[in-house]
Amino acid sequence: MKGFLLRLAAKLAAGLTMVFTVATFTFFLVHALPGNPGDAAYEGYVLGGMPPELARAKVAVVYGFTSHEPLVDQYLGYLGQLLHGNLGVSISYSGVPVTDVIRAAVPWTVLPVLSGLLLSFLVGCTAGVVAAVRRNSRSGGLLSLSGSLMAGVPSFVLALLLAFLFHTLWNVLPYGDTSDVTIAPGFTAEYLGSVATHAVLPVATYALLGYGSWLLTMKSSVASVLGDDFILAAELRGIAPATRMRYIGRNAVLPLFTTLALSVGHMFAGSVLIEDVFDYPGLGNLLLKSIGNRDYPLMGGAFLLITVTIVVANILAELLYSVIDPRVRR
Amino acid sequence: MTDPTPHHDGAATAGARPAEVEIRDLTVVYRTEHGDLPAVSHASLDLRAGEITGLVGESGSGKSTLALSLLNAVPAPGRITTGSVEVAGVGDVTRLTGRRLRRTRGSALGYVFQASQNSLNPLKTVGKQLLDLGRSHEVEDLRGLVRRAGDLCERMGLDADRVLDSYQHELSGGMRQRIGIVLALVLNAEVLVLDEPTTALDMISQAAVLDIVRSVHRENGLATLVVTHDMGVVSEIADRLAVMYGGRIVEHGPAGELLRRPSHPYTRALIGATARIVGDPGLARALPGQPPDLTTLARRGCVFRDRCPLAMPVCEESDPALSEWTPGRFRACHAEPAPADRAAAVPAPRTQDDPIGGRP
Ligand SMILES: Nc1ncnc2c1ncn2[C@@H]1O[C@H](COP(=O)(O)OP(=O)(O)OP(=O)(O)O)[C@@H](O)[C@H]1O
Ligand code: SF4
Ligand SMILES: [Mg+2]
Repeated sequence: MKGFLLRLAAKLAAGLTMVFTVATFTFFLVHALPGNPGDAAYEGYVLGGMPPELARAKVAVVYGFTSHEPLVDQYLGYLGQLLHGNLGVSISYSGVPVTDVIRAAVPWTVLPVLSGLLLSFLVGCTAGVVAAVRRNSRSGGLLSLSGSLMAGVPSFVLALLLAFLFHTLWNVLPYGDTSDVTIAPGFTAEYLGSVATHAVLPVATYALLGYGSWLLTMKSSVASVLGDDFILAAELRGIAPATRMRYIGRNAVLPLFTTLALSVGHMFAGSVLIEDVFDYPGLGNLLLKSIGNRDYPLMGGAFLLITVTIVVANILAELLYSVIDPRVRR
Repeated sequence: MTDPTPHHDGAATAGARPAEVEIRDLTVVYRTEHGDLPAVSHASLDLRAGEITGLVGESGSGKSTLALSLLNAVPAPGRITTGSVEVAGVGDVTRLTGRRLRRTRGSALGYVFQASQNSLNPLKTVGKQLLDLGRSHEVEDLRGLVRRAGDLCERMGLDADRVLDSYQHELSGGMRQRIGIVLALVLNAEVLVLDEPTTALDMISQAAVLDIVRSVHRENGLATLVVTHDMGVVSEIADRLAVMYGGRIVEHGPAGELLRRPSHPYTRALIGATARIVGDPGLARALPGQPPDLTTLARRGCVFRDRCPLAMPVCEESDPALSEWTPGRFRACHAEPAPADRAAAVPAPRTQDDPIGGRP
């Protein structure tokens, strides 16, 4: 128990360090850019006839810092704002606080990514168990082959292929935005149905992307558990096959939880390309747009949120691990 | 060892009772890149209720393979090619498949296997695994099962409540070994097979586990097979002894006689080398030369001939069959049994010194 708490604390500390590093990095990135955007904006306002005092105040609101203070003060001011959950004001969505812009986009990334991840984890792991148990048969070989193939496909190729097949060619699935624009948002069957069908392509892409590597990882994990003494022992005691499968599955899935946490990060990173292909207004799309618009506060906020998500996923994985593995628990 | 009665001289009762397990002409091969190589060749052996049979031999002689055949559980790439294993009330185990085979394992035949230290699922408590065992064998009265397991635990000096609520990593090696025995016996198996039950244990746990095996065996009138390469273990608890070499049973008979007057040249060398240091597991040092493995095993003639001091031309040509050379004793060798052997085959007088010195 003590060891577990210690590890959890270490994860937390590492996570906070990571968040801090990313925050610092985005701050200095904005400053290191040619023609510091804060300065550029300030000059723009002054040239536009605004009094310098007002222009400075306006820059301070938008960027969370004023470029006329010493760098250290600006940095500390920025961190102070961060602690209060203030990420500044978006430039491209003029005047809207960054937190609001992000909050609107978050569910459209988190829900598809998590459901895609869960789906690929469940399907991939199940297929991995079958592939390992039947590794000497044709069906097992085919399963493994499907895993190897899928693991090698780049995300945007997969997304484009699915969009082409299911939208352009067969026209069975909608694509673009989160729902049909002609349907008013609300708690109606029509709207929810539209949201669901629009989510199919992104979710399927996330799911297929993960499938191959889950299958292969699970297969090798199962193969190693199959060689463990207690599996033979269970067989020699006449334990029922279904029970033995559960023994194998639970022991084999355990080492995969670390990978699961890491892949949350990968998936969020992947959402940048995939949401772009499907024109799906999630975080990844927002990040890409903010880069295109040089909306630095928004960019920094999106980066920060992705970092926080990865940290939280890591900690959740640690907790999950400890629920399943008694050797960690007590 | 508090028990005063010697159980080495069980020859008188041998043959009186029908055998609980009859192994006949059993051959087990492993598929290798050199083809199918026999790890057990034409082995025949009886296990009787109320008797502990010791199966000894150097590492690689095929002991575990033979023991696993009793449950028709030789792992791939191994398979049984000839022979039968008749178990009383079950039939020929080598012909069983599927559900019937599975149900026989555990309920009729209890197996404590070589790596019993790791025979538990690390993610479940012992109690939950006990319930899994009960459900797998469709035990109606699971409470009764837990009670019986608890009794067995207490008998073995384990705190039943604590043990059933523990995970494997919370138990010591000796405790795990005992739990392996509890799980092998809790469904009232009449045949108990223990593969190297003490090898991984320290001396004190070894003695404790052997004591437990002996008393549970007695009380339940089991037919017990103890596989070991430790002559100390067999001299402690075996009533009968079978000696394996190169996949063959080269000699078997009542343990006391066999230890005092070994007849087969291999058994003699084995016992000669360990007589002074009973309990030393370093049997590999017992003989000049290397024990054969599957690839170097002679395909023709006696498998022991390269290391045998008595080898003759005929030993190159034909594989000696196991035969009863004097009542109750079997050996597989072309050489004439020495006259002294025949003389000593009658139970030795109690006053004679035990040349093995295995008993305190
Ligand atoms: N899976 C396998 N594939 C090929 N050969 C095997 C396999 N398992 C065992 N053997 C061979 O079969 C022979 C008998 O092995 P077995 O494990 O029965 O010996 P053992 O007498 O129990 O030895 P030990 O005292 O080391 O446990 C050995 O030569 C071994 O190398
Ligand atoms: S058969 Fe020949 S080689 Fe084999 S043990 Fe007997 S004497 Fe030795
Ligand atoms: Mg063995």
